[in-house]
Amino acid sequence: MQEPRAGRPGAEPDGRRDRNNDDPFLRYAGRFGRPIGDVANMLRSSRAAPAEIARTLGLPAAAVEGPASFFADFSAPRGARHVRVCTAAACFAAAGGTHVAEVEAALGVETGSRSADGSVSIQAVRCLGYCFSGPAALDGVDAYAGPGLAAQLRGSSPRTAPPIPVYCDSPVPVVTAGLLGASPPWSVWPGVAAAGTPEDVLGRVEAAQLRGRGGAGFRAAAKWRAALEHPAPRVVVANGDEGDPGSYADRLLMEQDPHRVLEGLALACFAVRAATGIVFVRSEYPHAAARLRDALREARAAGYLGPDAAGSGVSLEVHVVEGAGSYVSGEETALLNGLEGLRGVVRPRPPFPTGRGLHGRPTVVNNVETLCAVPWIVQHGGPAYAALGTADEAGTVLASLSERFLRPGAYEVEIGTPVRRIVEDLGGGLRGGATLRALQIGGPLGGFLGPGDLDVPLSDAALSRHGAALGHAGIVAFDDRFSGGQVLRNLWDFAAAESCGQCSPCRVGAWRGRALSEQPDDPDISRERGDVLRTMAAGSLCAFGRRVPAAVRSLARVYGLEGWPP
Amino acid sequence: MKLHVDGRQVEVAAGATLLDAVRAAGLALPTLCHDDRLTTAASCRTCLVEVTGRGPAAACSTPAEDGLRIAVEASRAIRRDALQAIVAGLPARALDIPADRSELARQCADYGVSAPAGSAVPPERGVDHSHPYVKLDRDLCIACGRCVRACAEIQGTFALTLVGRGAGTVVGPGTGGPWAESDCVSCGACVDTCPTGALSEPGLLNLLPIERQTRTTCGYCGVGCSLEVSTRDNLIMTVRPAGEGSVNRGHACVKGRFAHGFLGSAERLTTPLIRRNGTLAPATWDEAAGYVAARLTGIRDTGPDGFALISSARATNEENYLAQKFARALMGTNNVDNCARLCHAPSAAGLAATFGLGGGTNPFDDLDRCDAILLAGANPTAAHPVVGSRIFQRVMDGARLVVVDPRRTSLARHADIHLRPRPGTNVAVFNGLAHVLAREGLVDTAFLEAHTSGYDGLLGLLGDYPPERVAGISGVPADDLVRAAVMYGQALAPAIFYGLGVTEHLHGTDGVRTLSNLALLRGAVGPGAGGGVNPLRGQNNVQGASDMGALPDLLPGYQKVLDPAARARCAEAWRADVPQRPGLRIPQMFSAARGGVLKALWVIGEDVLATDPDSTSVRAALTACPLVICNDLFLSPTAAAADVVFPVAAWLEKDGTFVNFDRRFQRVRAAVAPPAGVRTDFAVLHAVAARMGADLGCATPAEAMAECAAVAPLFGGISHSRLDRDGPLHWPCGSADSPGTPRLYQDRFATPDGLAHLAARPYLPPGEHCDEAFPYLLITGRRDAHYNSGSMTRRTDNLRLLARETLDVGPGDAAALGLNDGDPVQLGSRHGTAVLRARITDEVEPGQVFAAFHFPGAAVNSLTSSVEDEVTGCPEYKLTAVRLSGLG
Repeated sequence: MQEPRAGRPGAEPDGRRDRNNDDPFLRYAGRFGRPIGDVANMLRSSRAAPAEIARTLGLPAAAVEGPASFFADFSAPRGARHVRVCTAAACFAAAGGTHVAEVEAALGVETGSRSADGSVSIQAVRCLGYCFSGPAALDGVDAYAGPGLAAQLRGSSPRTAPPIPVYCDSPVPVVTAGLLGASPPWSVWPGVAAAGTPEDVLGRVEAAQLRGRGGAGFRAAAKWRAALEHPAPRVVVANGDEGDPGSYADRLLMEQDPHRVLEGLALACFAVRAATGIVFVRSEYPHAAARLRDALREARAAGYLGPDAAGSGVSLEVHVVEGAGSYVSGEETALLNGLEGLRGVVRPRPPFPTGRGLHGRPTVVNNVETLCAVPWIVQHGGPAYAALGTADEAGTVLASLSERFLRPGAYEVEIGTPVRRIVEDLGGGLRGGATLRALQIGGPLGGFLGPGDLDVPLSDAALSRHGAALGHAGIVAFDDRFSGGQVLRNLWDFAAAESCGQCSPCRVGAWRGRALSEQPDDPDISRERGDVLRTMAAGSLCAFGRRVPAAVRSLARVYGLEGWPP
Repeated sequence: MKLHVDGRQVEVAAGATLLDAVRAAGLALPTLCHDDRLTTAASCRTCLVEVTGRGPAAACSTPAEDGLRIAVEASRAIRRDALQAIVAGLPARALDIPADRSELARQCADYGVSAPAGSAVPPERGVDHSHPYVKLDRDLCIACGRCVRACAEIQGTFALTLVGRGAGTVVGPGTGGPWAESDCVSCGACVDTCPTGALSEPGLLNLLPIERQTRTTCGYCGVGCSLEVSTRDNLIMTVRPAGEGSVNRGHACVKGRFAHGFLGSAERLTTPLIRRNGTLAPATWDEAAGYVAARLTGIRDTGPDGFALISSARATNEENYLAQKFARALMGTNNVDNCARLCHAPSAAGLAATFGLGGGTNPFDDLDRCDAILLAGANPTAAHPVVGSRIFQRVMDGARLVVVDPRRTSLARHADIHLRPRPGTNVAVFNGLAHVLAREGLVDTAFLEAHTSGYDGLLGLLGDYPPERVAGISGVPADDLVRAAVMYGQALAPAIFYGLGVTEHLHGTDGVRTLSNLALLRGAVGPGAGGGVNPLRGQNNVQGASDMGALPDLLPGYQKVLDPAARARCAEAWRADVPQRPGLRIPQMFSAARGGVLKALWVIGEDVLATDPDSTSVRAALTACPLVICNDLFLSPTAAAADVVFPVAAWLEKDGTFVNFDRRFQRVRAAVAPPAGVRTDFAVLHAVAARMGADLGCATPAEAMAECAAVAPLFGGISHSRLDRDGPLHWPCGSADSPGTPRLYQDRFATPDGLAHLAARPYLPPGEHCDEAFPYLLITGRRDAHYNSGSMTRRTDNLRLLARETLDVGPGDAAALGLNDGDPVQLGSRHGTAVLRARITDEVEPGQVFAAFHFPGAAVNSLTSSVEDEVTGCPEYKLTAVRLSGLG
């Protein structure tokens, strides 16, 4: 008899299929048409137990229990009144962590729990984007920030939640062009849609040498070209999971200029011929998600998005999706896992999202700030943008200055601007004449500079030479009220709380580093600390685990901590 | 692609990983989160290797590229660090787990990693020992997720997930509570893949090393899983699926994997029993064998047909061969049958009439090439779990699935189309599907022309089966029927699998034949393409028992009793005449007993009182028969009704071969010695023969197989030594140099004219009908945790998984009857009564109820009728009219 005719692609007689390495839960949902993408929404909106939600969706209970126990928003106990208190770097630097105990006392419930009567609960979160005015909390979706946080929440003093101060120190405002009134939204996309070509948009962004502003610094145009090498349908995700404590640039853009985010996304979709765009917003920014949804409605009504978007003849549908409380969701593969309804853990790469991303489609993930530069670049041409910044790192960056500064706020600066200019001239130094002890730049994956390091230019290359990184350009100032040990523990607290747990070096290392930071210095402990830093840096699956050791080392250098091997 | 591994050039195929390249160089890496059968996680980071110019990369997930240079030895330190990092998150005792059950311990020993200093002690998370078999120690979990992927990608249950995040990440059941209350089906795949012992089982919780390992074949259902039995002091520590098992590929189920506790049950019979003054009393082997020999000698000398033997589908081929030889050569009667009569006799008859041979047409491995599966009247997820898993995985990989079953089984829930015919209407449905194939131009006319006969006759009949009429008969919506036919008809390589829902009917053989028509119409069997027609055989060796000639009309290897040449071949080897007339089938044996004609009935390893239909009549037969001999492990209801009982060995205690559902001969080897006083069926037959002054020959199982090979051309090339050397062989295997025949009918069918015979069989109504007095239809079948009469599984911790029989009732019927879940229900049929607890479920259609027969107290088979398949005598188990009343 002849061999049976070939079955479907991938069918192999010995059972080794052409490996589809997708998560099995995703494959299950895809094959049997079960809406696994609804899991997060159901967990957010329903009080039902995970197993019950799974039954409703026709999914195995495990498909819901996994994400339900992973994301902080779902696993945290919830009362009728749910208060999220920031414990991250800038709020810590503002109040030394005392605000948490004060809020607990004011509300009569401990962090991570719900009062016996179910009326109130407190969840510790890491950054609400109020770093310029910490300490901060969200009561439901309402922000409270600044001195007397506990009293505000108790209602005994008036609520304050100041807007983000915005400045531009660049020769021209690029991402702040709309915020500072230099350019109304949607002034570029209609022209491109009418007469432009995808290659033209891509070419301009390429000529601009625009790099990702989310931390990794990958060239945007290269990412777009990589996606174009794979067959449609393609997807572009605007990454609004700005988790780096100290940075609130994306919150500013999403809340105050959401149309620019959408316009940048529309241009990116056009360039990579994607019909679907997604804006992923962290749940700690509820106002940003609401503003984006409003903007989306307006943009659709105006015809900028939708079928035949802006008369381009192509369909462009954009969706706003909210996160559920996980720093690592900012990593692009973890972000995609979350969007697909899975646990928000990191995937091994390759395959890279540009080849195999959301639901297997070629997917470009660009940070919000990156996308916000695109309309300006398309309008003014790549060379105009490339003329800004340094030779290797073109353009501007939106630096966020923390509450300790005299003039905290978001400053658009050229890359390469000396840190000293930002800290002293723009920020005005520390408020109240306090003494600067350390700057944390680029969040937990960035690093620390000492007062003697201020002449370093704000560029990734220069910062790297000092053991730091540009990251998302958050700049948190620590004055001399805190010891290096305190700052270090805050950093390890963050790492231990936010490690996704997918890879062993980080899963164990983040916990162990925190535990070892509480031990007294001795040679054996130092050796163990060295093991943790070495294995995390060498072996972790994503930048989180690989970069935390560098941040720890630079902190140890700046504070002269002896017990942590360089 | 060519790569350099430690300076050695290796070549790997496209799609290979660095791990493949490293292995190609003959080197090994620790791969704690990796299992070749599963998707890649790359999370443990212990397989990191240095790639020149790139730095460390996880070998398991990094694609190989031409020209890459990989340093393995030189990068040992990074892997040691990665192992150390994992161990640092575990309690020190993690490395006390014996190396025979901990990959982590083995790798740490290899890399010189020891327990951490203990300056940072991980928080304790405790154990979950709620489940009888799967034992979780969270503190040993390294969150590698292999268990989660094994449950999803091998078993297909999706019961597990990693829960929590960061250092708190640990495996847990998806239902959140204790493991025992989860979706876990106790297949053991998670335990088998766990690299640390975090998931373990009762027999491995003590830290004594394994002493001996024995490779054997599972003795539960007919899938034929290869098992690796680990023992210590003649006790089983664990039974693990063999990774290279040709059918199971390293997978097993709750029965084969865990249900071996019955071996040590206090209820094991350890001495023969003889009925004296109405009660069974212990006797010596000498007494019992002598007593039986004397009685049988008298029958042999006066009227050999007064003896009948029910051989065992649970016993080895060699025992079945010896049993039929005992009946034929020693007693001089063809009154020998086996329980295939009760399940797949219609398959043997129907498949032989259609294609030429009475077995499944294709090897199970062809499943991996098929793009559509038609599953009819079978619930393999429960009854053939490894087959169920592999079908499910194939469907996950994209093959279409059509299920024909009145019940909403697990696979039906995942089917692209589920047809739910009223029980007893299969023939109408299959004819309706054939009608649509013909109408839609989906028949392979070239194939029909070249390889079949009877197409014109079939076409004539099919005119009577348009979908609308079939809908009227079966209740299957016409649209669904059309969609199903088109799905099967448009597939490039469709396969048919079916079970007892097709055969156990008044017109079961017609069911098999009309189902086989579909494969022929599509050219999806034999010389055509596709996955053929494959019965899922119920018992470990039900195929083999028939193969060995434990049938009243067939000699070993399906040679007809009526064929003088075949008789002569046997007579020469046996040095005894072979009786010329076919003997009695099982139901005829009972009837002969009730009629006073049968003087002695020997039942080997079957509990006919529990598993044969219409138990009242069976009991009458046993009572009427002057001598009933029974071989069993336990005092089954049948044994209790016997006059002589021989205590015999179980499958884990004996040597021989089984033939699985796709005609695969596989070795069975004793993993433990039987309890003192217990003998194999093989030895019992020899002992009685010896006391009758006869020598059956075949001193050992290997010699029995050799003699069978000599008399049965189909098995001419089968021998123990060859199976030991080469592994499983599919029959036909005619000579020592034949590789066996996984796929039948390569060039032509095995009928005399070489053509497959399409069957024009009309739909005829079933034997049982509902009426006002008996308004519900009872379907019987198996549940996953138990096996047939339950005599083995009820004597294991499977009882903690399912403690009693239930009656599955739909929510609407339950409401109408005022039943709540767990309420007792009285069932009455035209044949008997039973009481069961209600289980309310959407698995059954309104008007239908379902029960299994694993618990003798439930007496489900007192309800079933004596209606039989008109061709083969197979009982109509699958439908009985019943009435229900709540006892609450």
